[in-house]
Amino acid sequence: MFNPMSMLDLVVVLVAGIALGFIFRNRKRVNLEKVNLLTILVLIFSLGFSIGSDNELLASMPRVGMNALIISLLTIVFSVAFLEIARKAARIK
Amino acid sequence: MIKYIVVALAIGIIAGYANNNYGPAFPNGWVSDYLFNFSLLLLLFVMGFAFGADEQAAANLRKTGWRIFIVPLSIAVGSIFGGLVGGYILGINLAGSMAVSAGFGWYTLTGPLAGQLFGAEFGALGFATNFLRELFTILAASLLVKAGKYAPIASGGATAMDTTLPVIVRYCGSDSLIIAFLSGFVLSLIAPFIITAIASLPNALSF
Repeated sequence: MFNPMSMLDLVVVLVAGIALGFIFRNRKRVNLEKVNLLTILVLIFSLGFSIGSDNELLASMPRVGMNALIISLLTIVFSVAFLEIARKAARIK
Repeated sequence: MIKYIVVALAIGIIAGYANNNYGPAFPNGWVSDYLFNFSLLLLLFVMGFAFGADEQAAANLRKTGWRIFIVPLSIAVGSIFGGLVGGYILGINLAGSMAVSAGFGWYTLTGPLAGQLFGAEFGALGFATNFLRELFTILAASLLVKAGKYAPIASGGATAMDTTLPVIVRYCGSDSLIIAFLSGFVLSLIAPFIITAIASLPNALSF
């Protein structure tokens, strides 16, 4: 459920990407846009797949869906508002 | 791009549902673990590469410095406050509602954990609330960014380090990568502890 090891994997891959991007900064640019979009779609597909195959999640929706919608919209609104206020106060650009 | 995302998500949900309920053609983990992890790692690498090659991005980050941690902290406080308001409006257990909001979009964590701490009803609520937060972030990132430069990062919460990261980077720009990832990382780290801590709050908070 809570797996810090896989979170560490993500950090390692990200740092490796940044380091290589930094090293090859002045080489001719490769257009990664197409790869990017295709990979995003594969990621979103597999996210959808885990949602669709999660019976517990699907069963919870009709029962608590309305309450969940209200709470989730409020968490989004207030987290956005708090972040914007904090950004202004701390002058984070 | 959002059109493609909606289609990919819909096909994924249908495929996952079909594979699960009409006799599995293959183990679910092939897609929800292997394919998911592979595409996520590839994306992180590619986005990291683009970030590293962008001279402006690193300079911006250096200017922000340690203040970057204000981002996940304000998102955490805002989310829990939203849960408090929501629980008050709906007239449900306030601690339960705040704990559910402290999942920051991570539904596979919050569902089981809230269920264990507050009972099955809050387990279901934890699942649904955080799933909707993730879904909304993916679908509405292009609108959210108009409310503030980093609004999709706030909306994405803990998922800003994985599932919603590509959409965030797409709409907030390549230089938002580290802020988004770090914010999602910090929120993922603290979510289980905050949920557990809220559960041990005195009953004064509940009706």
